[in-house]
Amino acid sequence: MSGIQFKNVSKLYQQGENQVLALDDISLTVEQGEFIAVIGPSGSGKSTFLAIAGALLQTSKGEVILNGKNLNELKPKNLVRLRLEEIGFILQTSNLVPYLNVLEQLLVVKKMAGKLAKVDKGYAKELLQSLGLAAKLEKLPEQLSGGERQRTAIARAFMNNPSIILADEPTASLDSKRAHEVVQLIANEAKTRNKAAIMVTHDERMLEYCDKVYRMEDGRLKHDDSFNRENGNTLLEDKQLQEN
Amino acid sequence: MFLAIRELKHGKLRFLMIGVITVMIAWLVFMLSGLGNGLSTLSAATIKNMDATYVTFEDGSRASMSRSLLSESLAEKLENQPNVSAATVMGATMGTILNNSDSGTNEKVDIAILGTTPGSFLEPNVIDGKPLQANESLEVIANDTLKKKGFKIGDTLKIEGSLEKMKIVGFVNNETYNHLPAIFTTLDKWRSIQFAAPGSDKGIEKPVNAIMLQGKNIDSEKLNQLFKNTETVTKSAAVQGMPGYKEENGTIMMMLAFLLAISAFVLGVFFYVLTLQKSNQFGILKALGASNRFLGRAIVSQVFLLSFVSITAGVLLTYGTALILPDEMPFSLDLKLVVLYALLLLVISILSSLVSVRKITKIDPLQAIGRME
Ligand SMILES: Nc1ncnc2c1ncn2[C@@H]1O[C@H](COP(=O)(O)OP(=O)(O)OP(=O)(O)O)[C@@H](O)[C@H]1O
Ligand SMILES: [Mg+2]
Repeated sequence: MSGIQFKNVSKLYQQGENQVLALDDISLTVEQGEFIAVIGPSGSGKSTFLAIAGALLQTSKGEVILNGKNLNELKPKNLVRLRLEEIGFILQTSNLVPYLNVLEQLLVVKKMAGKLAKVDKGYAKELLQSLGLAAKLEKLPEQLSGGERQRTAIARAFMNNPSIILADEPTASLDSKRAHEVVQLIANEAKTRNKAAIMVTHDERMLEYCDKVYRMEDGRLKHDDSFNRENGNTLLEDKQLQEN
Repeated sequence: MFLAIRELKHGKLRFLMIGVITVMIAWLVFMLSGLGNGLSTLSAATIKNMDATYVTFEDGSRASMSRSLLSESLAEKLENQPNVSAATVMGATMGTILNNSDSGTNEKVDIAILGTTPGSFLEPNVIDGKPLQANESLEVIANDTLKKKGFKIGDTLKIEGSLEKMKIVGFVNNETYNHLPAIFTTLDKWRSIQFAAPGSDKGIEKPVNAIMLQGKNIDSEKLNQLFKNTETVTKSAAVQGMPGYKEENGTIMMMLAFLLAISAFVLGVFFYVLTLQKSNQFGILKALGASNRFLGRAIVSQVFLLSFVSITAGVLLTYGTALILPDEMPFSLDLKLVVLYALLLLVISILSSLVSVRKITKIDPLQAIGRME
């Protein structure tokens, strides 16, 4: 089965004598084509949740099934491979490599996998064009605006056509107009290309693009009904209609 | 290479600085090796050149010709020993010569006078003129560096503090002994110079300084037992026994070793600091799926490129400097040595980058995620 599945996942941080239960018995399924948001106060465990989903952190208890693969059972080397091929990370700040231009930021992801093919370059250009960066291919991160940087990072996350998209506060460094654009892009990618997407955010205005909203509190995850909209993505669709 | 080259281009200044340091270290390494090579040639070229495998000295002389005195008759006995295919005697004296011809300058020149049997394997081939003759004890062949001092074939030489005269009939190449240009004479001539004072030959009949042996697998232990009062050593031990040879070589080798160690540290520390600075960036790349191998290769290839270019520049600079060095400088570049030290520097710089590679493997991609920002 594809998508991502948490089964009774707990995470205990051990720091000297202190123990922090960062995640407490979390179960959750995110299907392909579904875009969910996780909100919650600082320190509640959101980043931990995302790190586990992204195969960067081991669970203390429970298991994570990603595209049918149990992450607990994979070797470190295969986890690296899985991150490269099946997960697209979008981070709080764009975290681009300072000495690579926009196009190369995407190509380096292909390089990590081995050879760089001609088609990859074409695909990267297409991707950047669809994100409105066609004129910026040769620019270095320092020559870009915050929004452009974040869009480049999004394009980078999509470059390997991952089936899971994970975003940790992708809008934190953006003004509200850019923030809306960026989240729309993620929502759009999840819908049109049938990907499972999880976004951690503080920004409640962004929740309108999501199918489901979960609230994290002291390591527990609860489905939050107050943001549940019967009409699904109409708001998103309205916005797109208006823009066209 | 993808990351390595682009970062080199982007951070030109910082990489240029470290590159310049590497160039200077490499330059110094090659200059030193040239100097060491030049000095050891000057000190012992004749011994190094000779086609012998072992040398027999007087016991207690510690492989030094100047301390050793043997009888020529011993050579014949040595030649009859198993595995010894030939044995030839040699004598060495230091002296000062004056050009006695009308055309010559009156500059005095220090030389080494080497006596040997004409036509033996110890007599080097002449590049100019004719070889020694057994019955012509006036005739000598000289190292061609004397040409620069104004000596020519046919010139007669006066030896200071002696009534002996000599005449140059030929020139040989690259024959220096004890830091001095060598002049080859017959044994008789050499003896009449060396043992001019009565009693200085200690009563030994037909004295010589050493006997050079040819032949593989000579059992030097057995020779030492068989011939009391002798000591047979390998040719390289005889080279080491040349006055000042060990000391000069040791000093230069020590400087080279320090330089190589310094270069390892400078490069190692530089790249380690760079890696530390970029550890967040590496963490992000790891979160995106970069393997340790991918990132490690980026560092190593960067170090390789930088060192390769710098070392090559160092080699070119060295050969450039060699062109403008004064002739008297004992400086000679041996291509084999240059290549060896270049490779050594390259290997050392790559090894030094492994510290950074190790650091990379320890970087946790988790730091790329939210909390750490
Ligand atoms: N490596 C760690 N070692 C020990 N404790 C940790 C570690 N990482 C996180 N924690 C603790 O786990 C809890 C959850 O942290 P987490 O970073 O997941 O919170 P968050 O919801 O992402 O917070 P924020 O909104 O501020 O980013 C916190 O109490 C934190 O102190
Ligand atoms: Mg966080």
